[in-house]
Amino acid sequence: MSVDASITCREVVELLNDYLEGELPEPDRVRVEEHLAGCDGCTTILGEFRETIRLTGMLTVEHVSDAQRETLLEAFRDWTSAT
Amino acid sequence: MTTTRATADDLTLVELLRAGDQTAFMMLVDELGPSMRRVARMYVSTDAVADEVVQEAWLGVLRGLPGFEGRSSLRTWIFRILVNTAKTRGQRESRSVPFASLAGDDLDAPAIDPAAFDDGGAWSTLPFDWRGMPEERAQATETLHVIGGAIAMLPPMQAEVIRMRDILGWSSEEVRNALGISKTNQRVLLHRARARVRTAVEEHFRSVAEAGAGG
Repeated sequence: MSVDASITCREVVELLNDYLEGELPEPDRVRVEEHLAGCDGCTTILGEFRETIRLTGMLTVEHVSDAQRETLLEAFRDWTSAT
Repeated sequence: MTTTRATADDLTLVELLRAGDQTAFMMLVDELGPSMRRVARMYVSTDAVADEVVQEAWLGVLRGLPGFEGRSSLRTWIFRILVNTAKTRGQRESRSVPFASLAGDDLDAPAIDPAAFDDGGAWSTLPFDWRGMPEERAQATETLHVIGGAIAMLPPMQAEVIRMRDILGWSSEEVRNALGISKTNQRVLLHRARARVRTAVEEHFRSVAEAGAGG
């Protein structure tokens, strides 16, 4: 395995989220990509972060209580009739 | 601070609200309500007070709507009203909440168990690869349950950042503006939250794999 010695796996995994968010400064982004190209372990973790994000996106937001919805709808009607 | 301006969709929505469209208003209530309640709860002492804060914030939103100029996104603007309302209420309750208690005290914790690396910082054994397992080896709903549980266990600000970014799909800029946190804090909180959720999923699939191998 030929890996860029300037950055270790332990360091790369801490940068993967910023990498995915597109928030790594250019020199760091290049170093991370060069490392990933030669490192199966870090590439696996990157893929697992992507998969975690995809799965989390399948969750749905909880519901607002009926009582709260009713109160707010009433407030909206009052506001509409007042304006 | 950079600000995402209101989008064309935002301005259309504002027009509908100004015209008294109840469906549009309730869609907004349903989308933002659960987050608003949790964010309010960070600053006040009980769920009941948080509900009052949310309601008061919506009344503030309605009062401010005729003057909304679209200099920020609609969500950001609504959350700014909410956070201000919640903080004011918290101060009245003489409740001061240090940021550290909301953000969690584990922000410097490593994303991956340090035991996985050798002295030089390279993998000592390749990490367990669970990708592809949801469809093959376990119910997808069970995985989602694990993720929901892991998020619920996060410190409140970490939980809210990952919910807004990954469940609601907001931009990182909208998330930090809505919560009133710095760009750096938003990055660190999201990194930590996703790392904890990834670890929870890994542990889940590891136990699924071991149960499969054992049976």
